[in-house]
Amino acid sequence: MNPRDAPSAAETATARPRRPLFRKYFIALFAAVVIPLLISGASEAWFGYHDYRAMLDERLRVEANAAASRIREFLAGIKEQMDWTVQLPWTEANTERRRLDALRLLRQVPAIVDITLVDGAGVERLKISRLGRDVIGSGIDRAADPAVSGARATRLWYGPVTLNRGSEPYMTMGVAGNRVAVGVSVAQINLKLIWDVISAIKVGESGGAFVADRDGKLVAHPNISLVLQGADEKMAARLKALQAAATAARGAAVTTEDFEKRTILVAMAPVAGVNWTVFASQPLSEAFAPLRAALWRTVYLLLAGAAFTALLALILARRMTVPIRKLEQGVTRIGAGQFGHKIEISTGDELERLAGSVNRMAGELALSQERSDRIARLKRFLSPQVAEIVEKAGQSDLLSAQRAEVVVVFCDLRGFTAFSAKATPEEVMRVLGEYYEALGAIIMRYEATLTHFSGDGMMVLLNAPVPCPDDPAQRAMRMAADMRAAVRSLASGWRIAGHALGFGIGLAKGTATVGRIGYEGRHDYTAIGSVANLASRLCGAAADGQILVDANAAAAASGQTPIAAAGTRQLRGYAEPVAVFEVASAPPA
Amino acid sequence: MRNASIGRRRFVTLLGAAAAWPLAVRGESPRPVIGFLSSASQATFERFVAEYRASLAETGFGEGKNVAIEFRWADGHYDRLPALAAELVRLKVDVILASGGAPPAFAAKAATSTIPIVFTAISDPLEGGLVASLNRPGGNLTGITILTAELDPKRLELLSALVPAAKVVAVLANPNRSDAEKQSADVQAAAAALGRELVILRAGNESEIHAAFAKLRERGAGALAVLADPYFTSRREQIVALAARYHVPAMYQWREFVVAGGLMSYGPSILDAYRQAGIYTGRILKGEKPADLPVLQPTKFELVLNLKTANALGLSVTEPILARADEVIE
Repeated sequence: MNPRDAPSAAETATARPRRPLFRKYFIALFAAVVIPLLISGASEAWFGYHDYRAMLDERLRVEANAAASRIREFLAGIKEQMDWTVQLPWTEANTERRRLDALRLLRQVPAIVDITLVDGAGVERLKISRLGRDVIGSGIDRAADPAVSGARATRLWYGPVTLNRGSEPYMTMGVAGNRVAVGVSVAQINLKLIWDVISAIKVGESGGAFVADRDGKLVAHPNISLVLQGADEKMAARLKALQAAATAARGAAVTTEDFEKRTILVAMAPVAGVNWTVFASQPLSEAFAPLRAALWRTVYLLLAGAAFTALLALILARRMTVPIRKLEQGVTRIGAGQFGHKIEISTGDELERLAGSVNRMAGELALSQERSDRIARLKRFLSPQVAEIVEKAGQSDLLSAQRAEVVVVFCDLRGFTAFSAKATPEEVMRVLGEYYEALGAIIMRYEATLTHFSGDGMMVLLNAPVPCPDDPAQRAMRMAADMRAAVRSLASGWRIAGHALGFGIGLAKGTATVGRIGYEGRHDYTAIGSVANLASRLCGAAADGQILVDANAAAAASGQTPIAAAGTRQLRGYAEPVAVFEVASAPPA
Repeated sequence: MRNASIGRRRFVTLLGAAAAWPLAVRGESPRPVIGFLSSASQATFERFVAEYRASLAETGFGEGKNVAIEFRWADGHYDRLPALAAELVRLKVDVILASGGAPPAFAAKAATSTIPIVFTAISDPLEGGLVASLNRPGGNLTGITILTAELDPKRLELLSALVPAAKVVAVLANPNRSDAEKQSADVQAAAAALGRELVILRAGNESEIHAAFAKLRERGAGALAVLADPYFTSRREQIVALAARYHVPAMYQWREFVVAGGLMSYGPSILDAYRQAGIYTGRILKGEKPADLPVLQPTKFELVLNLKTANALGLSVTEPILARADEVIE
């Protein structure tokens, strides 16, 4: 509340704070909502992706298995039809009948290009072809033919996939009957016809299935051209790598690039017997489209949430900071001395309470200011201790006019008028400064009341307005002795400087009217009565270094202070000579 | 400065495009044109062309809507093919369809090495180097192969099975074919294996066909196999009528002969071949390269039998033939 602080306080009120509260609150509130929102959004996306990926894997695996079982069905269908040709043992008589069976088989199964029937001894009996000549009873020994020996060993034998004229995938299939005598049927299968099966398989919108053999040869693909393009080392390498990757993934789908350079998700299923693998695939973009849509939805919701949070944070931060700013401004004004300023906050919370406190504090500050002003005024004629007491007790009691038993002390310098006439003003002021400083300290120590001073003289009062704890006359005499000693030591210094200055004190005890005199803003406390007159006259009568005391005061000394009778003096204003005493001079220090 | 000039050029291009835009709206923009080059005549190939149009439409190209077809028919005059092909190239067609045997395909190939060519219903495109391989044709040609002459021996075998009494069998061959010699040699060998005496009748035009039938009776042939040739396909009504007039059991290449009253046919479906040609044309119009499209081979071979004709000829159809027959016309 130092008035010098007021401008700087005003400065802080107008200058922007380095880190405004509004921004802090806004960021804190915004972060408090948005960060958890982001974390939950991100974790949801993360887990959502993993769940969705697992679901996709499962779906593709199911599709791959379904496709594999359809391929198996295709092959099983051919095998079933071929079984009809290996049911009866060979006799010369039934050759014609078996020829009809074989012809019917060709009509029944379009994938069979030609069929060779071999008897129990491994001898070729019949060959029926769609393109070549039919041969009956060629008698060629086919026992060593891998298709024949293979079918005999396992009843069903699949040959490797070969390319007809470098383009169409063909496979030889051998089927044996339940007895050796019924022989073996060996058929050439045109695998191009699997296209009907494979092209019917749809995974999602544009996904599908394709089949490769163990050498990485493409057996079936919805785009038949890729199959008919025949042997392709690059493609074989890719398909084998895909097989290896899918095997390593243990049933999980793998991503790869398809023949049209799209990224696809692929799951694999084996086709037992033929040693083929079926791949079910779906373009990644399509497979993840629902997830992507969900993610975008989440992002939009997050953005909307963030915007809403920002708005909310803005409102909340404003609600917090507006009253705080009001408080700040209010405090600044109060700090500048406008104690009457009232901070109006009605938020119903702690801030309102704080504003109330500040308002109350301003009121108290106003009171305190008033009081300290009063004390400052009292201190002009009372010692600080006395001033405090007077202030605490309330000035109306102690400073009001009354008659009191007081001791009045007058003192002044001898030879001051001559000194002040010839000395420089600076010298005069320096001497007076030293003089009052020394005496002021003593007056303060003895808790005496300085009623007034002018030039080199001053009047000091004891036992009013506050009664002394001990006998006021004794106290006054001790004080006077201390004053004499103090001025004496000062005077020796002045004498060296060439100024001959002496010091005299007059002291009287008696009843006087005490109280405040003066006008608004300029009050003095003083004692009026004969005792003051007497003290003044005694002071005037005192020689240098002499403390003259009246009879009343001397009586009060009662041996505590060395007093000597100094006879009587004729004093101005007194008809009779007055008995005077003198406080014995202490040995010079 | 360079950028600025490019910007200006681009702007000018944009202006040009804007100017061209109304033309596009009026339908005068480049609409893809297919050059349909055929060795045969329009009347006899109507059915194939219809199939081709239908499958082309399935790929998204409707004639008259977003694609135009320029037809060039040689009407059996193979020597006209090079000029017709050159004409299509001059018209700057987007794709050429070569229909009816190898000659139009060769004519088209000779005329252009840039315009994609789809051939259909030809026997062996590797012969004469029409394509590098079936699986990767390599150049600007691809198409549909159907086994034509390759199946002649098989047809002879089936004919012999249907008419076992005929010890002398005649074949009708077109001497204008490039592979005429090989075709004759193959059937000769097949006849020998079957134990039949073979009479080769050569006919390259209408009057020669008439003469061939007269000669057939002269030589006492009990059955006739009409060998593969687009010209015979286009003359099928006449040939079928002559076979009926001369009362001779005859074997043909295509189902269409049997539908017209012929006795029996064996071979892949020529309609299939035109259907697939339509699909390939569509794919090429959409930007695929013929070099990447493998030559398609037939998978279905049909034996079609006309029982009415068999009855008229007094033939008893044996079980092996009936078991084989995919279609019996009664």
